[in-house]
Amino acid sequence: MKAVALDGIVLGLQFGLLGVGMTLIYGLGGVLNLAYGQAAVLAAMVVAITLTAGAPALVATAAGLLAAAAGGVVIDRTLMLPVYHQRGEHRVLLGLLLTLGVAFVIDGLLLWRYPTGALRLEIGGEAVPILGVRMRVGSLLASGISLVVGAILLLFFRATTMGRAARSVIQDEVGARLVGINPAAVRTFIFALSGALAGLVAVTRSMTSPVSVTAGFDFTILALIVAVVGGLGSVAGAFLAGVLLGIVSTVSAFYIGQYITTIVLLAATALTIVMRPRGLLGR
Amino acid sequence: MTAEFDTTVESEGAPLGVSARPPRSLTRAFWPIAVTGAVLALVPLWLGDSRLMMGLAVDALVFGAYAIAFNVIFGSTNQLFLCVGALAGVGGYASAILADTAKLSMTVGLALATALATALGGLLSWIAVRRSLGVIFTGIVTLAFSLSFANLVLGQRELTGGETGLVVAAGEGTFLRERVAAYYLFLGLLVVFLVVFRALERSHIGWAFRALRDSELAAELAGVDVARYRIYAGVIGSAMLGITGAVYAYSDGFISPSTFAFGHVDVRVLVMLAFGGLGTLLGPVVGTVVFAVLDELLIDFGQLRTVVYGLLIIALFLGFKRGAVPAVADLLRRLVRQARSRLGRQP
Repeated sequence: MKAVALDGIVLGLQFGLLGVGMTLIYGLGGVLNLAYGQAAVLAAMVVAITLTAGAPALVATAAGLLAAAAGGVVIDRTLMLPVYHQRGEHRVLLGLLLTLGVAFVIDGLLLWRYPTGALRLEIGGEAVPILGVRMRVGSLLASGISLVVGAILLLFFRATTMGRAARSVIQDEVGARLVGINPAAVRTFIFALSGALAGLVAVTRSMTSPVSVTAGFDFTILALIVAVVGGLGSVAGAFLAGVLLGIVSTVSAFYIGQYITTIVLLAATALTIVMRPRGLLGR
Repeated sequence: MTAEFDTTVESEGAPLGVSARPPRSLTRAFWPIAVTGAVLALVPLWLGDSRLMMGLAVDALVFGAYAIAFNVIFGSTNQLFLCVGALAGVGGYASAILADTAKLSMTVGLALATALATALGGLLSWIAVRRSLGVIFTGIVTLAFSLSFANLVLGQRELTGGETGLVVAAGEGTFLRERVAAYYLFLGLLVVFLVVFRALERSHIGWAFRALRDSELAAELAGVDVARYRIYAGVIGSAMLGITGAVYAYSDGFISPSTFAFGHVDVRVLVMLAFGGLGTLLGPVVGTVVFAVLDELLIDFGQLRTVVYGLLIIALFLGFKRGAVPAVADLLRRLVRQARSRLGRQP
């Protein structure tokens, strides 16, 4: 039981990070980015390619994150412009459909070029006992990275000018503009950050299980579930929801089975929307 | 200046598609359906010899029927039902299991399966209306339903055959398994759905649909019971999906999770309808034909076909958001008007 719960936390921390990237873009641009998982897969493939080319792991990871971030910036600066002209539900709908198109393009290109591509980072070393449970070094490293990055993110949004600017745009775009914040610049930055986060989660995932080229939509759905349950637009909510759902997911996978687990996660999402549409920590 | 003006105007009305009134005269309202039916009825004369091509044609009609159902739900009342494939799958799996495992007659199986899909769709619509979920949350809840259904089918292996699929014995040896006969059966279904769609448009329900599409608030203030008409649309569309899925199961003889998968059905139906024009009578048919032809043309492209579809989605929604049919119709109307005024000026 303890081992399952710990595994759940390891998974949940990554879920949380994944949800943060999704939730930020929705909060800021009013766009549900359906190409989000493809950014993760793109990063994973870039890392895999640079690794095979002989680059050290850190350099390869940096290259992957940069590629995903650059992808985010390109989408924000081109396809999302007409979306920002719209308001309310029209904006969300148009954003949804355009990013769906982007997802298809990226998926198709990657599958065409690397049909069997997958990223698996082997982290060596002896298993370390934590609370009497032997944890693999890969799991610990993945959790450590997620925790550190999560803490940095929370700090960033509370203590830095850019982070506060982003939060003010999430709260009220017009108000933010009135106090001299340029929402477009903030959005571009957040799109880059979100792409990098997706890439980072792909890399940490690959430390415990392989990330294949077809995983894009799974990442997107997972991020969507976490973001909705945590409350769209709330960073802390995404983390909380991520850890909770991670534990629920491993426990139910261990005791009931994989298919039911997916249904449990989806039902949690549907229930959240029906009972408390603002999510756990939504405004 | 003009660009800014355009965006404000678009934000006022329905986001995608059109909500025009149908013609008042009975003949003018129904002749497009008759012509469509007649033209599509000629297809087997041309492709009838090839079992493969007829199979593809039948599949295209099935998607056309899905698209009309989705048009009733999303095109008429803005409920983003991302569970087209799942509701059809409920019809398909229920009818197959009822007929094969529970040994009921095919008619009873069809009726019960359709009733089940209708009830589920109505329930989803009721939840969406009751909790006043917007387009996006309706989309996410129905998407969750879709994926749950897929996982349920995968998990209940003894009943559904899991990943490998289910061979349907009911319908074996009847005309349902003849591809040409099946083509005419589905064409009949398609024509009936079109007639239902047009009849709805012409009834008081159609007035309510147009009113709530243009502005929900204004419709509510004018005394339209928005909630009730939304549920009507959900129930009618879901019934169409259930019937189509059930008949498909009997006629094809094999169903699997991928037959009704979200990525296979819903995405395609959405793109087909967006291309043809949301809320229009013939939009689904145009989308069906265009995508059937496109599929054939792109068959050698493999994975690049996905890329082409992605680019198409982007171009479609960036370019003419109201769909190809309304855009072309507008262009023709403008040309005719220009020609008329030019003729009028010349004595």
